Amino acid sequence: MLSKYVQDDKPPMTAEAKAWMEKETATQEDRYKAIVDEQDALIPEREQWYADFLNIVQTKGFNFTGDQRRVIPKEEIAEKPDRPDAMRVVW
Amino acid sequence: MARPHIEPYVEFNEDYRAFDFAGYGGAEYKVLSLDVDTGASSLKVKFNGGYTRKPGLCYSDMEVFVLNGEIKVGSETWVEGHYSFIPAGVALGAMEVAQGAEAIVWYNDSEPTFEETDRDHPLALKEGFISVNSYLDCPWASGSIVSPSTATGCMIKLLRFDPITEAMTFLYCMTPEFMQDNISYHDCAEESYHIWGTSWMMQFGDLPTGGYFWRPPYINHGSFRSKLGCIAIGRTDSKLHNYFHFNPWTNPDDNQARAASFLYRQRPQLFRWVGAGGHNHPHGPQGQLKYQNPPHDFETPEYGHRPDVSALANQNYTFREMDHLHADEYVHKVHHAHKVEDDHHHHDHDHDHPHHHGDGDLDHKH
Repeated sequence: MLSKYVQDDKPPMTAEAKAWMEKETATQEDRYKAIVDEQDALIPEREQWYADFLNIVQTKGFNFTGDQRRVIPKEEIAEKPDRPDAMRVVW
Repeated sequence: MARPHIEPYVEFNEDYRAFDFAGYGGAEYKVLSLDVDTGASSLKVKFNGGYTRKPGLCYSDMEVFVLNGEIKVGSETWVEGHYSFIPAGVALGAMEVAQGAEAIVWYNDSEPTFEETDRDHPLALKEGFISVNSYLDCPWASGSIVSPSTATGCMIKLLRFDPITEAMTFLYCMTPEFMQDNISYHDCAEESYHIWGTSWMMQFGDLPTGGYFWRPPYINHGSFRSKLGCIAIGRTDSKLHNYFHFNPWTNPDDNQARAASFLYRQRPQLFRWVGAGGHNHPHGPQGQLKYQNPPHDFETPEYGHRPDVSALANQNYTFREMDHLHADEYVHKVHHAHKVEDDHHHHDHDHDHPHHHGDGDLDHKH
């Protein structure tokens, strides 16, 4: 195991690389916001997906590892919490 | 803040941009994700017909996966399915692309760099070099290399495994009608590019061909479906442990606390030692054992100097505020709980009511 690596010899970031980073950082921020908007729009569908999933784990079962399943009794099913991030999926 | 959570992102909807530095003149690229602190990045690169590059090295570890076309690299020919890991400082041979090719290219430590040379850097870890056709020369294996494991029908080809961090690069596939009825999260960041086919996750919907995600640790994903099957290339930045559960409403804080509870009950002595800063010697004054950061590993004592290890240790995933969730009361509570300053600002997205936007830090360090 070394105590110095090639990465430690890296020359300082060039001006063109800095410009590239700035441009792509801004683009990525826009992309993130667009994804959040798209995913917010899916909330009504996602509510149904969650309901379907909770039905499956109470009937067919929950994959706790591999193909092994456990049918989850109703009393173990969580209630939807009263907090606004309950349906949030992008963090 | 390292890389933001980019999921899902379908790159087919974006145009390529000219790549005019780091030896890529004549090529084009799309950024899939970018570490805004270090420049480490995941790119889709299009090498246009006639692209050439002289031999040279990069100051970052690199990975390349060829999606289509043919790339001559020194004495090798890389075609569809070729995977290569190029340790920082290893000189790649001259590149020639006669008819055009596309590849996923990862820079793991920093922004793309290129230095023309036909000699390896003296510190280059040449033994780490990998060059293999993943389609032709690697077998599919069961996805149960970790436990708890994925359901039957999710298979992998392990292309790279780092014994120090347990970071992995792998092809994976889901068979037609694959299903797995659980919600998963991990301690590691996870990344995937769909080479072909569509999978579905209960949080995000369909991820089609050309679909991509970079998912920070502790974020729920699944249950899982794939109607017709899919093949993808994935990576983790450290050890992948599948934490499965069935509560769709947990957030990353809930999930991280639960992961810590696993450590508490499954490795209680380690949990206690780490929590005490190493001061738990049973026979001496407390504090005699100095907690080292990073902790001492008698087998690989210098591991903390490794660029990927130190990057992981210093990485802070700062999750956003309640973007677009319209919850002034909750934001107030969270700010109070986390004792952070309110730096909300308004923006001009097309909404018909005011709401907060996410540049403020919740100080969720992951």
